[in-house]
Amino acid sequence: MDDITIQFEECLRRHLRSAKPTAINYEVELVQLGLDSMTAVAVLLDMEKTFGIRFPDDMLVEGTFRTAGRLKEAVQLLRARKAS
Amino acid sequence: MTRPLPDQSLGPEWTILELLARGIVDDPERQLARELLTSDTLDWGELLEQALRHKMLPMLAHHVVSAELRFDLPTSIYLHLESALEWNRWQINLFRTETARVAQSLAENGIPFVVTKGMTFESTLYAGLGTRHMNDIDFMIAPRDREKVLNLTKELGFRPFYEWAKDARREEISSRLNPDHLPKLAREVDQPGIRMIQIDVANSLTWTRSPFDVPVEEALENRVEQPVPGLPGVSLPCFQPTYQFLFTVLHLFREAWLQKFVDFGTDVSLMKFGDVIRLFDQHHNDLVDGELLRTMDVHHVTDSVAWVLRHMDETFHTHAVKSLALEKHGDEKRLAAQMSSSGYVRASDQSMRERLQSKGRGSSRSAAPAHSGS
Repeated sequence: MDDITIQFEECLRRHLRSAKPTAINYEVELVQLGLDSMTAVAVLLDMEKTFGIRFPDDMLVEGTFRTAGRLKEAVQLLRARKAS
Repeated sequence: MTRPLPDQSLGPEWTILELLARGIVDDPERQLARELLTSDTLDWGELLEQALRHKMLPMLAHHVVSAELRFDLPTSIYLHLESALEWNRWQINLFRTETARVAQSLAENGIPFVVTKGMTFESTLYAGLGTRHMNDIDFMIAPRDREKVLNLTKELGFRPFYEWAKDARREEISSRLNPDHLPKLAREVDQPGIRMIQIDVANSLTWTRSPFDVPVEEALENRVEQPVPGLPGVSLPCFQPTYQFLFTVLHLFREAWLQKFVDFGTDVSLMKFGDVIRLFDQHHNDLVDGELLRTMDVHHVTDSVAWVLRHMDETFHTHAVKSLALEKHGDEKRLAAQMSSSGYVRASDQSMRERLQSKGRGSSRSAAPAHSGS
């Protein structure tokens, strides 16, 4: 599987006003980086478009994008499912 | 208390709609409406456009028909208004039958619920004349019953429906992440002029992550039955006046403050303020006896309710804030501090009246106007 880190972080930075341009902390909650109800929708839509995936209903919950780490895992899982 | 006639600084077309929204109740108001509607200089294009934007076309139509203005209006416009009124009445009748069908299923399955908004207001606040516009049928349930109701409505032929939105996938994700409502549900019907019936099932009196709330379970314990015009023996549960008023005002607050409603151009409207004015007038004695104020205080919604009522009073010359002694509440800066994320509308110095009249709302238009700084 390709490393999606660069694309993933670019995608986050497009929507999160507090995400640093250098490094993204994968453990910190995304709300601390500026995620709210509007940007959450925008981030998920952008992830779907960028990676050609679709979040199933059971992943459209806050736990999926609580941290950048959780969200990246979800994206990788969906990419893997798609590839298999 | 009498209300002064609206000032006409925003034009005769807007004055007519303001009069209709707050309700024409005395001779000076009737006379003013007649003079404006029969004026040679009235811009019918502007009046019809604003009536549509504010969901008031059936109300305008009913007024010109009941005021017997048949030969004082351009013929084509009169005939169009007459048919728009008839069509609205036809749709309301269909909605009544459908509401009763869904309500029966919910009741048979032991699910506490109420019918809200247009379906209850049409017969109680608008005298069952067919003048209240409705897009859909609104219900309120408790969050614990979401899955049960989703399954029941599927059995009744409804399915999640997002195609009404400009970006269906965005709406679908937003709906999942903001579970204050079930997904919008629709059922295709084979009826003249009506392709589908939509129902909107809420499970909150406010919205997901709202800084304040009135527990829906508490509101659902305070229900009354309301007869359905044209369906003898059928009644529907609705909120008793205190909770009916709270929900309606908080709903208007929500649509005024959440950016997504501005983006869709469905935020504040004359009709929604008209609902609040009529509710307050009709249940005045119930609402000023103290229970409403106690409930607002317990659930920390006094500021948000006062904010709506102050804008209503300033716009329509009503007296709700004084009647409820809310003069010290509703500070906009305090509310804005509670709701400062990008999901909320930012304050501007535009008055509510200017915001209502503005056609520049919605994502496809210029920058969205916001609240008055008052």
